[in-house]
Amino acid sequence: MTIVETEVVGLGEVRVASRPEQVLVCYGLGSCVGVALYDPVARIGAMVHVVLPDSSMARGRDAPPGKYADTGVEAALEAIVKAGASRSRLIARAAGGARMLSLAGVNPKLDIGARNAEAVRKALARHGLHLVAEDMGGTYGRTLHLYIATGRLLVTTVGRGEREL
Amino acid sequence: MELQPSQWGSLERIVTQALAGSSRSLSQMTTGEIQLLAPQLSFVRLENLPALAGGPAAVVVGVYLAITGELQGHVVLLFRPENARGLVDLLLGQPPGTCRELDEIARSALAEVGNVCGSAFMNALADRTGLKVKPSPPVVMEDMAGAILDAVVVQLSITDEEALVISTSFNGALPGHFLLMPDNRSMARLVAALEAMR
Repeated sequence: MTIVETEVVGLGEVRVASRPEQVLVCYGLGSCVGVALYDPVARIGAMVHVVLPDSSMARGRDAPPGKYADTGVEAALEAIVKAGASRSRLIARAAGGARMLSLAGVNPKLDIGARNAEAVRKALARHGLHLVAEDMGGTYGRTLHLYIATGRLLVTTVGRGEREL
Repeated sequence: MELQPSQWGSLERIVTQALAGSSRSLSQMTTGEIQLLAPQLSFVRLENLPALAGGPAAVVVGVYLAITGELQGHVVLLFRPENARGLVDLLLGQPPGTCRELDEIARSALAEVGNVCGSAFMNALADRTGLKVKPSPPVVMEDMAGAILDAVVVQLSITDEEALVISTSFNGALPGHFLLMPDNRSMARLVAALEAMR
């Protein structure tokens, strides 16, 4: 039996893992977006749990770079390259960005999920990272597991099954 | 949030009145008696809210209402799934264990709990502080606690906030949490209004 070591990536955090038994996990993504970077040759993965689209929303406060799509993608990229991954081999996948409160008549401007999703796509493109698969939007939560040994990325939901990206 | 003892007292009176109002309305809706008992009040940092419900991956039932008016923010009623189903049975006068999934009827029963409790809270608040607020129509969700809360929390976390958590139970058997999350300015306004109640 394989021993699995779960590393939780909390709100606004960036984590890198390079040992095969490690699994990076973002639990309960609603409007947040989990971005997974993976080098399939070096078998190194990184994950960031993005909360908000843009670091200009920080209003001068100290916030972890992982909290925002623009700085979060950059921080994850820097961290994984520093850990030995090759930038050119990296594949990016992302999930989350749901609109949880869609029925409440909430101001669409406040649809942070859609804005997070768009900001993540832009940030990845800006760094020349190829978004090979995504599962974003909808009105339901997602949990994201990145298995370092294989690069498998599993999206699980409540009542909507699970899928691989 | 640091409240003075007198402000806590004011808040407790509002909560007590709100729960009494909720109990009365819910009892009128049903064949039996429904009492909201033994409220416990605390302030919880937004990032720690999912832990109240068993962690971000735990499946919970949430009833969400937006607050508008002189206070702006959010109210979320949070239940473990089995307690939400138990509450549906209680409301619909069914034997415990009848409700197995949140179908349309179950969802509308829980939405009504949101309406009743939300309105009772807003009324108690208006009554005691003069602040006029009204709740939006409720949304009922069954999903991961993290997912339900992050959309709400995100809108507030820009300003680093805490939620007022009222933990109670329906008839002493079905625990639930009321999360009251005013935005930054509204929290200050609420605290000032509590002070003025002395």
